[in-house]
Amino acid sequence: MTRKQILATLAIALLPLALLLAAGYAFAAETVPQPIAFSHKIHVTDYKLHCRFCHSSTNKSQYANLPSVEKCMMCHRSIATDKPEVKKVAHYWNEKKPIPWNKVIDLPNHVYFPHKKMVNAGIPCLTCHPGMDQAGTAVQRLEFGMGMCMECHRKKKVTIDCWKCHY
Amino acid sequence: MLDRRQFLKLGGATAFATLFGGCEKVQHKLIPFVIPPENHTLGEALRYASVCGQCPAGCGVVVRVSEGRAKKIEGNPLHPVNRGKLCGRGQAALQALYHPERLQRPMKLSGARHSGAYTPVPWEEALSLLMGPLKKVNAEAPGSLLMLTEPMRGHAGLVAGRFMKAFGSKNRVAWDPFGPDAMLTANAAVYGVRDLPEHDFANARYVLSFSGDFLETGISPVHYAREYGRMRGDRETVRGKVIHFGPRLSMTAAAADLFLPCAPGTEGFVALGIAHVMVRDRLTAASSTAGRLSDDLGAWSPEEVEKKTGVHAHDIAAAAEEFARNQPGLAIAGTGAASGPGGAFHCAAVALLNVLAGNVGKPGGVSFPNRGQAFAKYGAEASLLAPSPESGYAEVRAAVEKMRGGAFRMAILSGVTNPAFTLPPPLKFNEALSKVPFVVAFASFLDETTSLADLVLPVPTGLEAWGDDLAPVGHAGAITLCQPVVEPFRDTRSMPDVLIAAAKELGGEPAKALPWRSFRECIEMAYGGPGGEMEKALQRGGFFGESFSARSASRSGGVSLPKAADAPFVGDPKAFPLALHLYPSITLYDGRGANLPWLQEMPDPISTAVWRNWIEVNPKTAAGLGLAEGDGVTVTSPSGKITAHVAFNPGIAPDVAAMPLGQGHTRYGKYANGRGENPISLLPAGETYALQATRVALAKTKLSTTLARTGHPEGQWKVKNMM
Repeated sequence: MTRKQILATLAIALLPLALLLAAGYAFAAETVPQPIAFSHKIHVTDYKLHCRFCHSSTNKSQYANLPSVEKCMMCHRSIATDKPEVKKVAHYWNEKKPIPWNKVIDLPNHVYFPHKKMVNAGIPCLTCHPGMDQAGTAVQRLEFGMGMCMECHRKKKVTIDCWKCHY
Repeated sequence: MLDRRQFLKLGGATAFATLFGGCEKVQHKLIPFVIPPENHTLGEALRYASVCGQCPAGCGVVVRVSEGRAKKIEGNPLHPVNRGKLCGRGQAALQALYHPERLQRPMKLSGARHSGAYTPVPWEEALSLLMGPLKKVNAEAPGSLLMLTEPMRGHAGLVAGRFMKAFGSKNRVAWDPFGPDAMLTANAAVYGVRDLPEHDFANARYVLSFSGDFLETGISPVHYAREYGRMRGDRETVRGKVIHFGPRLSMTAAAADLFLPCAPGTEGFVALGIAHVMVRDRLTAASSTAGRLSDDLGAWSPEEVEKKTGVHAHDIAAAAEEFARNQPGLAIAGTGAASGPGGAFHCAAVALLNVLAGNVGKPGGVSFPNRGQAFAKYGAEASLLAPSPESGYAEVRAAVEKMRGGAFRMAILSGVTNPAFTLPPPLKFNEALSKVPFVVAFASFLDETTSLADLVLPVPTGLEAWGDDLAPVGHAGAITLCQPVVEPFRDTRSMPDVLIAAAKELGGEPAKALPWRSFRECIEMAYGGPGGEMEKALQRGGFFGESFSARSASRSGGVSLPKAADAPFVGDPKAFPLALHLYPSITLYDGRGANLPWLQEMPDPISTAVWRNWIEVNPKTAAGLGLAEGDGVTVTSPSGKITAHVAFNPGIAPDVAAMPLGQGHTRYGKYANGRGENPISLLPAGETYALQATRVALAKTKLSTTLARTGHPEGQWKVKNMM
């Protein structure tokens, strides 16, 4: 086998692997463009704000909310007002317009997922949203599928009754 | 021509586009609030207590609000009037809130007067348009300002009353077409109290209803329906019995044990017949009253009464005996008996039965809680906050005459009682109003009355406004608080708010009389302000702890027999063979609900008709006139002529034709306009607002419309009805 042939064979053999890696990378790194380059890292890791400071409904509601513009301005009226991204927030506030964030995280259809049950059971946010504390704008690195839920529910010996989530 | 190769290419391209075109991810948006509503949690509904403003009953409501949007209205379980229940009209308040035809901003007249053509203007301009004439009138002739509203209760009434007094005008008129004037007159004569009684159904064992409508459109239908439910089975003691006398099988009649039809306008005579038997057979608890009345009642033996009313003598005697032996019991006169020319007599004769049975001021009977006590701290002004529930017809008539004479230079209109629609046309309200140089209306919708104004100022609906209320009956002393359950949807300001602002600008007396910055501040100052008692009361819906001492209800001089008023219906019985019985619609009430599709599509409980007017006729009478179910007829009275569809009611007296009120609008938006004609146009303009006052003739006619009904008295599944 010539050197050329060996390389070609290798390339053909590795092609699926390369494609898989590329796909994986593409998924993991999928960032959704946002109107403001909000940094989770700065707020969560650097300034040690709890996730629930902004996503305050997670222990009270089925849904995790986004903070209101008023909430952003609670701090940014006086903090980092010269930063270009903060200026954008101030602009929305002055115009009294909501920030049109793009949705990043989607659940599969036909499932009922109450945030408050998980949060009140003491499951850390990072269990399902790994790396969010190091991210810029929101990125979802874990794909939500039934397998992921079931694995955790089995491990923690909580219900795996179908009707608990599908009704 | 396409060859094979091109076809395959095109097909391939189409397939590709179809398969992969849909794979593109749709980017959804997440839009947070700029400023979230108070106590808002995403995905969790909030519930706010307030008061229902759809009719004057004053039920407490709890509104479910999600993401700042009102979603559902239910009864407030803590509220003494309705205890968690609510009627269809109350539920439909949501549609008024989201109505596409709601006034968005102030409107100034852009066409000829009364044309209904308006241009929107900003509030600043609207207020200057209002203040110009108002200041001029105030300076030159303050007495020439007219304020014509619906009855205003609570502090809204205080603001309006004080404004007019400080302005220097006595012309404040409140109009309510179903104000129980006759009942008040009767109560003053028989019980010595000119007020509405509390009827304690829950503890009554026997009820005699005289054209009673307490389950549908009476003074407080939800309250009475709930109490009625308690009487009929939801209590430990014996199940109460109900006998209904009246010319028509209404919903209340259909819920009775026994329906005994009587001729229209004779309810009082039936009551006298019953009183006669009670006195004759010594079945009364009030023996001294009985002794005094026995001579006068002698003329009203059951046999005599039968001749007059058509109710069999033995039925009258049996009802009298059962009523007397099953105490506590109630005798009640409804709108049908009270709203004729002899209404006061009918109500007094019925009230007499309560006196004879000795059930005044007792559980299961009639009592008079002192409503004025709720606002006693206002002294002489208390009557502004808890006004008498009278219709104000005499005042409206007088005001119309004065308008025609040019006595008013400016008129302020407000409320949903729509005088241009609900007053009899012979009164010529529209024409009289045109003599007033400047008319301003506070309204949520343009209707027959507000579209006559020169300036229309949009007001918030009851779900967006502050206020307070004292229900006419069933309140047990409770003042209900009204709070905005959502942020106002439109650029609106409430009438009290505008009056307060206007008073400030006028300065002097008006400014002193209305010292608040806003109506909200007025309410907060009255109830201890935020953070105090008021906070808790707002959460519960009002102040429900107190209860009023009953007012003593006995006349010092003793009761005399009411003077029999045999007021004949207008019209020659030969030319106009049928007596016209008009009744409030259970869905549209006096017509205010006609612009709400939910209420239009709610079937009438007796005729099952929707979206249109009808005239109820006995099938036998109809057969004599050659009329079939659903046929068009011309209804002619001495005063007017309208058309309607025939709906059979086997439970109506053969010489009576009945029509519901509420339809026949011409300027109340696309859902209300052109759905039949207004039966009020058949009425004469009498001394009293008499709905049972005229005779009519029917003649078959061809109508381009049909009457939609969800049921059919012969069975809705009959093939011929479905074809």
